[in-house]
Amino acid sequence: MSESAQTVSASATTLMRVALRLLWRDWRGGELRLLLLAMVMAVTSVSGIALFTDRLERALVQESATMLAADRVLSGRQQPPREWLQEAAQRGLATAEVQAFASMVFSDQGNLLVAAKAVSEAYPLRGELRVSDQPFGAAYTDNDGPARGEVWVESRVLPGLGIDVGDTLYVGDGEFVVSRVLVQEPDRQQGGMMDNAGPRVLMHLDDVPVTNIIQPGSRVSYRYLFAGELAALDVYADWVREQSDGDFRLRDVRDESQEVSEALARGESFLLLGSLFAVLLAGIAIALTARRYSERHFDYAAIMKTLGCTSNQISAIYFGILLSLLIIAVVVGSLLGWLVHEGILILLQTVIPIALPAASLTPFWLGALTAFICLFAFAMPPLLALKHTSPLRVLRKDLVDAPLSTALPYVFGIAGALVLIVWYSQDLLISVILVGAVAGVALLLSAMSYLLLRTGSAAGMRAGSAWMLAMSAVRRRRRQSVLQVLVFSLTIMSLLILALLRTDLINDWQAQLPEDTPNHFMMNISDSQVAGMQTFLQENEVDANPFYPMVSAGLLTVNGAPAPHPWDDDDDEQGRSTMTERSGDNDRDADADRQDTEAGGADATDRPQRVENRQVTWTAQLPPDNEVVAGSWWAEQSIPGRVSVERDYAERIDVNLGDELVFRVNEQEVTAIVDNMRTVRWDNMQPNFFFIFSPGTLDHLGATYLSTLLLEGQEKLLLNDLLRQFPTIVVLEVDALIEQIQSIIAQVSSAIELIAGLVLIAGALVLLSCVNATLDERFRENAILRTLGAGRKLIMTSLLIEFAFIGLLAGVIATVGAELSLYYLQSEVFQQEFALHYWVWIAGPLAGTVIIAGLGFAATRKVVNSSPLAVLRQLSA
Amino acid sequence: MTAMIEARHLSKQVATSEGQLVILKDISLSIDAAEAVAIVGVSGSGKSTLLGLMAGLDSASGGDMLLDGQNLSTMDEEERAQLRGRSVGFVFQSFQLLPSLTALENVMLPIELKNDRDARQKAANLLQRVGLESRLQHYPNQLSGGEQQRVAIARAFASQAKILFADEPTGNLDAATGARVIDLLFSLNAEFGTTLVLVTHDDRLAQRCGRMVRLVAGEITEDVSVDVAANVGDAAHV
Ligand SMILES: Nc1ncnc2c1ncn2[C@@H]1O[C@H](COP(=O)(O)OP(=O)(O)O)[C@@H](O)[C@H]1O
Ligand SMILES: [Mg+2]
Repeated sequence: MSESAQTVSASATTLMRVALRLLWRDWRGGELRLLLLAMVMAVTSVSGIALFTDRLERALVQESATMLAADRVLSGRQQPPREWLQEAAQRGLATAEVQAFASMVFSDQGNLLVAAKAVSEAYPLRGELRVSDQPFGAAYTDNDGPARGEVWVESRVLPGLGIDVGDTLYVGDGEFVVSRVLVQEPDRQQGGMMDNAGPRVLMHLDDVPVTNIIQPGSRVSYRYLFAGELAALDVYADWVREQSDGDFRLRDVRDESQEVSEALARGESFLLLGSLFAVLLAGIAIALTARRYSERHFDYAAIMKTLGCTSNQISAIYFGILLSLLIIAVVVGSLLGWLVHEGILILLQTVIPIALPAASLTPFWLGALTAFICLFAFAMPPLLALKHTSPLRVLRKDLVDAPLSTALPYVFGIAGALVLIVWYSQDLLISVILVGAVAGVALLLSAMSYLLLRTGSAAGMRAGSAWMLAMSAVRRRRRQSVLQVLVFSLTIMSLLILALLRTDLINDWQAQLPEDTPNHFMMNISDSQVAGMQTFLQENEVDANPFYPMVSAGLLTVNGAPAPHPWDDDDDEQGRSTMTERSGDNDRDADADRQDTEAGGADATDRPQRVENRQVTWTAQLPPDNEVVAGSWWAEQSIPGRVSVERDYAERIDVNLGDELVFRVNEQEVTAIVDNMRTVRWDNMQPNFFFIFSPGTLDHLGATYLSTLLLEGQEKLLLNDLLRQFPTIVVLEVDALIEQIQSIIAQVSSAIELIAGLVLIAGALVLLSCVNATLDERFRENAILRTLGAGRKLIMTSLLIEFAFIGLLAGVIATVGAELSLYYLQSEVFQQEFALHYWVWIAGPLAGTVIIAGLGFAATRKVVNSSPLAVLRQLSA
Repeated sequence: MTAMIEARHLSKQVATSEGQLVILKDISLSIDAAEAVAIVGVSGSGKSTLLGLMAGLDSASGGDMLLDGQNLSTMDEEERAQLRGRSVGFVFQSFQLLPSLTALENVMLPIELKNDRDARQKAANLLQRVGLESRLQHYPNQLSGGEQQRVAIARAFASQAKILFADEPTGNLDAATGARVIDLLFSLNAEFGTTLVLVTHDDRLAQRCGRMVRLVAGEITEDVSVDVAANVGDAAHV
């Protein structure tokens, strides 16, 4: 007895062998292929996207670090204490020092206003200095920087001064040899006006005293650069903040370029959302196929039980099957993921000029882990339910086990989905919104489908019998129908959300920086120069843009009370600064000049009011990309003494239409009434203003003018002539920055297209497996109907109606759900303006109807085309 | 000698929407080793239910069920499964082969579950015994009903069970095919010395067993010995 008991219990290897055989043999049946496909899909999309974002993000971090030539920068108009550099070095950080100032340089032939920059030996800490030996010559890397007594200059300097490489150039009292032509420096756009006021002359830091240029009161931008471990940087940043009582702050690249960091943040959110959808859809497909697979295997389990298999052994066998599937899916999916991301990289070669760092292994782990979670949450419950199959099934075919109708699989599925959502979004907000949207859809769905099932059947009484047949099928399978509507609407909803988000994001970006975005700012233009410059531009066939008068204005009072400081409530936030203000200031930490003034001298103990100076303008025409949202823009004959305020800024300083504002402009007080509020595109790299006055208000107060130019390639040489003819103007060159932003946006857009495509595949998989799920039952029902005399045409029509009805229902729910989710996503996550997508309200339901009807019809066509006898015999066997 | 199968006051009732439905009441029956017993009765009389209880596929509402000396009523499903793997073989009306496995693999399954290394060889031998040596690699849907039932018989004997339960084994077959399947069943049964419980609604088939138990509405109304020799000739006429 005990001996026989031993021989009877099957060993693990035996069970595994049985599992592998079943797996191998079942491969012929469709479910396993779909199941594996869904799992491969999950792994592929996760690992592919993760690989891509992993490498892209490393590349972008590297590239953006090069925008600073460091990981962190400390800057100020005053020189920060030198000991801070030593402190940083002691903490294991690499350091470098930069001083930038505008200066005239001379040669024997002429002079030129340049942006001089003196750097210590360690500069640059990140990125590369590219140089060449002759103007416009082949570039190579030289990170050593100029030696003492030498300068490196940008190509434009040489013709401007009539000299060549090897000749002498004077900066202040210093005499220097031009040893190299500077082609590219990583942090060219940093430092505001000091760095952008002309072509670059790069010199050694220790040569600065020789020039005698820097005197007390000179405008110099001092910058300390740091690079090193993230943790060490953070600790040091805290130390600096404590030391300086908050006056100095270490900045990273996100502080530097709102445009880039916003594009990156949105792109990342989209990719995360996309891979989340891809995985959830794959998860649904896995759940559906696993369920169908296990329904087919109830008989298997029952038969194996009669052959002596215990429940645990049945579990072991199906666990073995799942494990094998998992391994295959992870291997195949990782390979495909690698291929997918390599494919994208090849596609993007032109927009990703930088060499990408090697990928880490993390994406593969993410893929495997996702497959694991999907498997256990979505596929395991129905398969493990097999162990509860009663062996009595072999005697009583009609015995319907109900293990699958228990709540367990749903609990597992929802828990798994939650884990995935929180994990992927890494952001509770997105998670909450998604869960909310899903729950909302589910609720809406049950209410609507109940209603519709009622009215549908009522209408069926009057319409033809095909309609009646279809409606009774929907009602008979009410639970299944509701599940189908749920799955279809979730799938369509995900696809709609992604498609709409994608379109909105890409449109937004294209509008932000179109191809012909002006890439040079001309500032400090005097009243008398405007006409001459316009002629100059016309003669050289360069398109002129509007000339904006510009003057610095400080807001003193609002309706007689001292103006609140706009950014008082969160010190850390710099707030918005306009392109003009950012460029015009060498210390971006203070986004506008802060002046301390005695406002309300009665209370002498009061802290003096901080007045923020803003660059303001006046114009009769509303500038492009500005939109009036309250009040109305002044007409041609406008009354002096009116002002237009940017809406968000108005909110922060608590200003309303009709309020009376008093500004101080060049030591004079100016009063203006708020006439309207505007919205402004801050990220369009164009002149933007918080305050715009009506013409006639500030005209007498000595403004200078500002305009923009689009100059590309060789056209830049025109700047030399322009500056020679108008030596007092300042030109800011932002072409490199704009190009950089455009290339980053192009990369992110491509990534977005890709993920949307992957999600589409996942969605198609779900639709297919969902339609397949009811196939057996349809076969049987239609065979019976046909033996009862229903014609093929009737059955086909009724099938079509049934699927179209479910599709329509799903399409409507999906559209509502998508718009609701988009409303939250766009306003809370993507910082976009939400607007209803009217066409979707037609396209969504229509697409649902057509796609589901088409898919369903294609899948069930063979139901109708097979002979009823064959079907009945096959099903009874 | 002790009985191979013994039912003591066995009863089965199920709860339905119309209240308690009594399927079997107070069944007492004892079957010796190597005995062949036919259970007959009209459709719905409770034959399959009784077979399920005797084979340990289901548990009784009352009474005791002893199989190979072990009391099924006191065992849980896991223990019953192990007992089935050791001692019981089945042949069903609808064959119950695993559709995705070949004929050979179907027969191998119970042998493999006993960790037998020679599963392939033993299964091939058995299939040869039932005359399907040329169909080893065929899938069930490539075989006729009679052939499928022969595979099922080979599988039933593959586990070297002491007891064989057959529920209407010819129910899905035409008369001639059914007769050949029954011949095969009986000859293998004789060869292996197996105890056979055969459920059928066909009285003539029942005549080939040494004993016939009749069920009417869940109760045994008749339990008689049959002169097997006298009936062997009949089968030829079926
Ligand atoms: N689990 C069950 N629930 C409801 N009715 C059952 C159940 N099992 C059997 N029956 C009923 O009990 C009766 C006997 O069934 P069965 O043993 O299959 O009869 P037989 O095999 O003799 O045709 C039938 O009327 C059947 O419908
Ligand atoms: Mg029966």
